[in-house]
Amino acid sequence: MKVSVDDNLCQGHTLCAMAAAKVFVLSDEDGHSQPIASEVPVDQEDAAREAARSCPEQAITLS
Amino acid sequence: MTTEKTESTESTDEQRDELTFSMNRHDAGYRLDFEKNTDELHGRCPIAWNDTHGGYWYVSGNQELFDVARRADLLSNDADIHGERRGYQGISIPPPAIEERTTIGGFLEMDPPAQRYYRQALNPYLSPAAVQRWQPVLDELTRACLDEVIESGRIDFVDDLANIVPAVLTMGLLGFPMADWEIYCEPAHASVYTSPDDPDHARIQALSIQMGMRAFESIAEIKETPRPGLVDALIKADIGGTTPSDMDLIGVVMLLIGGGFDTTTALTAHSLEWLSEHPDQRERLSRERATLLDSATEEFLRYYTPAVGDGRTVSADAEIAGVRFREGERLWLSWAMANRDEKVFECPHDVQLDRTGNRHASFGLGIHRCIGSNVARAAFKTMVTHVMDRMPDFVCDPAGAVHYDTTGVINGMKHLPATFTPGKRLGPGLEETIAAVQKACDEQGLAEPVTRKRDTASL
Repeated sequence: MKVSVDDNLCQGHTLCAMAAAKVFVLSDEDGHSQPIASEVPVDQEDAAREAARSCPEQAITLS
Repeated sequence: MTTEKTESTESTDEQRDELTFSMNRHDAGYRLDFEKNTDELHGRCPIAWNDTHGGYWYVSGNQELFDVARRADLLSNDADIHGERRGYQGISIPPPAIEERTTIGGFLEMDPPAQRYYRQALNPYLSPAAVQRWQPVLDELTRACLDEVIESGRIDFVDDLANIVPAVLTMGLLGFPMADWEIYCEPAHASVYTSPDDPDHARIQALSIQMGMRAFESIAEIKETPRPGLVDALIKADIGGTTPSDMDLIGVVMLLIGGGFDTTTALTAHSLEWLSEHPDQRERLSRERATLLDSATEEFLRYYTPAVGDGRTVSADAEIAGVRFREGERLWLSWAMANRDEKVFECPHDVQLDRTGNRHASFGLGIHRCIGSNVARAAFKTMVTHVMDRMPDFVCDPAGAVHYDTTGVINGMKHLPATFTPGKRLGPGLEETIAAVQKACDEQGLAEPVTRKRDTASL
């Protein structure tokens, strides 16, 4: 599973990092999210799905 | 509330008539009939025309809110109090009398690009990493608030805790003297719930003027002798080639104080009241806090939505979700009702501490989303955790709980008394603690942006 965050949509709600702390890292400066790696570890796929579903901006794409 | 429906037509006016209902958000009924009105609006017209207060669009459906709130190209927050642009009236419905307005609500009543410049200047002070540095301060302030009452077995969760911790922290973040929190506390809360015809209005206005004067003094002091914090960042902010005027600065400072004080107080009080009414859930939250506190926080945010909504002005003719909007019309984004939409939230009127996929709108949606969400979450979690640890058997007194007279802007509480089994003090009282925290803040540069200072406070 691959993950990406659309930086134009992300508003720094930080819910993704709450749902999947091993998948997303937040910018120190403004709290915007980035994937730690583009490939989601197999044991983190459920958490990544939950994060994508929780994102208020629908900025997270899984493929 | 009444809803009228007639046959659909092509005319914009007739569509508006068809979607018309009446609900005065400033009546006590708004709070008391909230769930009934929410369900009715969601069922019949998730975007409706509310014919009170001069008439305005009322967006309550979750999907509709999501589609509308993020259209910065069609919505304006502008408060054009000097009549220099299109005369828009900012984010309050009804708006304050224009002749009484000398300042606007900071960047919440501005449009981009100016709005964006302000936020960019402040983000490095309010990001998750920046706020994390203040955690020991939050813990110490909360400890001191509880120590003040722990031996008595009695607390007012609003007056003795939830009014204080967010206020002192906000002072610290601004770079204002932390001991000044009391000058700002009462007017910051009371100006939200005191209507112009209230007998107490004149006194609150006088307190608000004192607060404004003190803020002006503190801003001038920071201009003279810079000290780190949000105010220093604002003074130096590059707003498209200029720096903010004194009136702009005071507007932003009042926005940050309003946002920093009243909302977190409201959330904390309501949540503690709910936990008192559900002792089994309180025990579970305390026991499983490592896994449950994050989702419980989001759930309390959803359920009690402290800032119930925000006004806008439609800035261009447009059609969204089948509704035709016209330039100049007013519009209300009901975060609170969107948070209770059964199309998105199963059992929306129940609190489920382990709710997943909680896409609430309590911090707003779009470019004006709350800039202090991380501060709010941290302060809330700290206060609730300390209360569960030190007053695990607290019982709120429903007879003493006082809700805001109007919850049309903030769903707040004035008082929430409770009793608990007395315990032992752990440290010095509040005044001494604030002095100690101030010293640490000054010596360690805690109010610097996270880009310059990364270390967590050491107390």
